[in-house]
Amino acid sequence: MKEKSSKYELVVGLEVHVQLATESKLFASDKNSFGDAPNTNVSPITLAHPGTLPKPNKKAIEYAIKMGLACNCEIAKVTSFDRKNYFYPDLPKGYQTTQDNQPICIGGYLDVKSGESMRRIDFNRIHVEEDAGKSMHDAAHQGTLLDYNRAGTPLIEMVTEPVISTAEEAGNLITEIRRIVRFLGVGDGNMEEGSLRCDANISLRPKGTQTLGQKVEIKNMNSIRNVQRAIQHEVTRQSHLLDQGKTIKQETRGFDDATGKTTSQRSKEEANDYRYFPCPDLLPIKISDSYLTEIKAMMPKLPAEIVKELQEKFNLTEYDADIIAESEDRADYFFHTAKICSHYKKIANWMIGPIQNYLAEHNQSLAQFSITPEKLHDLIDLVESGKLNYSTASTKVFLDMIANPDKSASETAKDLALFQDNDESGLQKIVDEVLEGMPDKVAAFKKGKKGLMGLFVGEVMKKSRGKANPQITTKLLNETLSK
Amino acid sequence: MKSYHSLSQVRSDIASGTITCVELVQGYLSNITSKNTDLNALSEVYEEEALVQAAEVQEKINNGSAGRLAGMVITIKDVYCHNGHTLQSASKILDGFKSQFTATPIQRLLDEDAIIIGRNNCDEFAMGSSNENSVYGPVKNAVGKNKVPGGSSGGSAVAVQAEMCLVSIGSDTGGSVRQPASFCGVIGFKPTYGRISRHGLTAYASSFDCVGVLAHSVEDTALVLEIAAGPDEYDHTVSTTNVPAYSKAPEWAEKFSVVSFENINSHEAIDSAVKQSVDRVFDKIETLGNRIHKVDFTYLNYVLPTYYILTTAEASANLSRFDGVKYGYRTENAKDLDSMYRKTRTEGFGEEVVKRILLGTYVLSEGFYDAYYTKAQKVRRLIRDEMKSLLENNDFIIMPTAPTPAFDLNSHDRNPLEMYLEDIFTVQASLAGLPCISIPNGTDENGLPIGIQVICNSFEEEKLLSFSKYLKEHIL
Repeated sequence: MKEKSSKYELVVGLEVHVQLATESKLFASDKNSFGDAPNTNVSPITLAHPGTLPKPNKKAIEYAIKMGLACNCEIAKVTSFDRKNYFYPDLPKGYQTTQDNQPICIGGYLDVKSGESMRRIDFNRIHVEEDAGKSMHDAAHQGTLLDYNRAGTPLIEMVTEPVISTAEEAGNLITEIRRIVRFLGVGDGNMEEGSLRCDANISLRPKGTQTLGQKVEIKNMNSIRNVQRAIQHEVTRQSHLLDQGKTIKQETRGFDDATGKTTSQRSKEEANDYRYFPCPDLLPIKISDSYLTEIKAMMPKLPAEIVKELQEKFNLTEYDADIIAESEDRADYFFHTAKICSHYKKIANWMIGPIQNYLAEHNQSLAQFSITPEKLHDLIDLVESGKLNYSTASTKVFLDMIANPDKSASETAKDLALFQDNDESGLQKIVDEVLEGMPDKVAAFKKGKKGLMGLFVGEVMKKSRGKANPQITTKLLNETLSK
Repeated sequence: MKSYHSLSQVRSDIASGTITCVELVQGYLSNITSKNTDLNALSEVYEEEALVQAAEVQEKINNGSAGRLAGMVITIKDVYCHNGHTLQSASKILDGFKSQFTATPIQRLLDEDAIIIGRNNCDEFAMGSSNENSVYGPVKNAVGKNKVPGGSSGGSAVAVQAEMCLVSIGSDTGGSVRQPASFCGVIGFKPTYGRISRHGLTAYASSFDCVGVLAHSVEDTALVLEIAAGPDEYDHTVSTTNVPAYSKAPEWAEKFSVVSFENINSHEAIDSAVKQSVDRVFDKIETLGNRIHKVDFTYLNYVLPTYYILTTAEASANLSRFDGVKYGYRTENAKDLDSMYRKTRTEGFGEEVVKRILLGTYVLSEGFYDAYYTKAQKVRRLIRDEMKSLLENNDFIIMPTAPTPAFDLNSHDRNPLEMYLEDIFTVQASLAGLPCISIPNGTDENGLPIGIQVICNSFEEEKLLSFSKYLKEHIL
């Protein structure tokens, strides 16, 4: 994706908010869950009753540190919370408890694809903060309804430096963040549900210059595609203004999904003075070396590294590698199987094909899946050695193995009498029967309709109840038809 | 009913059958009936509830299962959450609000069978030094003569003073327990910051707010502290320092060294009777062979500005939750969201609270933050360091609790800075987070009580309470 402007250089900084999938809220024991009936997870603490105090959720701190380690950040030895003051009905305390001066993770970077090469995107920080509730403008009641279930749930805000130079990089960065979030299990990273949200600071500057141009902040983007569309629209809008000799106004703009355009929401003059100051209800949190060592020991190999290994050591395509690196379960399953089975590409095909489809259809995870890597190895060997044909293996045998977790692939195939028929004389009989039953088609084939071969193979398969070896069948059909 | 000045007196009369718990509560209720209309110390009396509870406690006493506070009738300042009961912080903005849980320190007292007989009037959101800033109207000092009781826990001090209860739980941010105690001739105690959980205490300035005790006796103060103090999963700032058996503290028997701040004891704001009463104490201490370390307090001129910058900054955020959206008062004249906020808060908060919110908002504003808030934080550290260093080398700091005895109602209406000057001697210990106590130290020529303040190092409450008892019995 190339931005149209040639005179200007695009500079983007992203603020990515990730909801953390902790059991309870950041400062209260209320349940942190999406989709519950409105105002059911709201204790006096969430509702900011007088006399209530915050108590930090250790799991949220742990998740933030994990994200920081995954993004190559320095983890603060002491981290503290601040109050960000503003009035809005969805903000019960009249301030948001967030981190200003001492964020939990400092600096950091992620490498993302940019065109044909990789680019390193530097981070400024990752900090922990609480989410607000939800306002719903309700026409029937001619007013606004408030749901405080989300109020006080934990977020991390990941802030990049202004170093992103294309919409593609922005998209790839969010994709990578989402992949890590899901891989580490710290969140579900679902943008449509708002569990991953993104604001972008966008500016242009004349090519070759170093000073940053006036930035515009775009909020309210609910998909990676929309982040990219918003950036592209801003490039067009801002370069048009600059071409006319106009200046860019510092403002907050919203992105409209329907029109693909951004519109002004708030100018700098209307901006809040948030009056940040240290939250006196929360002591600074010390992150000890031993605690950090403990978390580091829990860190799995990360997706980017897994993808690299899958491509370089196992010769998988980038597409396959990306899918396998989506979760720790998948990566483990692959590596485990690959230790005992050298048909790497086939393992990937089985995982991405029948296994993934089955799990998705039955809403199961790999952890619950009964075909172990050892059994999959057995199954792949049967296919690769020509004893089972793939379509039978991936349907009847596969399902029967799931239904009978005690049996191996060979036992299942044997019990179902599904071993491939490699006996040429037996197959020749079936071939002859099939061709005799379709004289018209045979004539047409001989006149040049070579595409009918598929039909003949299919008929032989049907007659053999799926046991015919497809290669031998094709060979025999060709021989017989050319007689 | 006869006057009771300690729980041990009450318990011994109950034990001897002179009085039952129910009769005790009836006695206090009768005091309330005859005095509260005039004094206005209680905003709500839990008559039926207290009588029911009294019968239960009596039953427990009879069968030997009573808690350590059985027979202690208390009142609580209108800033504490008390499940199912109105909490209004003496403000219109909390109209109709009822607590959905009980504050940790209050619950701990209830668990030991204290009986809550009523809710004390106070200054709105604990902001004030005269208890004139209340939606319930001013509290009057039981000494009469149209005097204020001090504030902000004025209702608590008067309830103890006028024997509407034995003990009251107040709150002390910059002197709100000690100064009214001084004005009303009772004991007022503020522990080390973090000694008692703030969970359930309406926040004024979070890094200053302390649960405080008003009582007639040091023993009762010690027992209440012992029960209320200690770790609490709901308060991240509460200390995990071991809670000693304060009520069993040994008698004070040692020689000691006290700090006397020369520039405080000769401060121009000090009333002559107050000065004489302090001088008398120092003279006696010296005569008894103890050491007096005379020194100027370096930052005296900075204590009030530092206190008011930091407390109002914190208050401006702490009071943002009172916005008409979720509970309490909401204006009926709103046109849109913005006017709902403005009108609700303008109509709901009293003048003093508005003033402090505005001041706090100002000192946190962009461009002013460093000049005010950051600087005040630094000065607070200097104040604390100097106080603590003096207390490393001396046992106590002794100074007047307030520069004057109780003053006339409405006398500071025109000059609020004069009113702020009332706090000059109490905010120092609050800035440093140190434990301190105000003990009655005689009266002036008009019979107005005067208090003397003793300050100790952090978490040395045991020492402070032992010494207070000694001071009361042997020196004052």
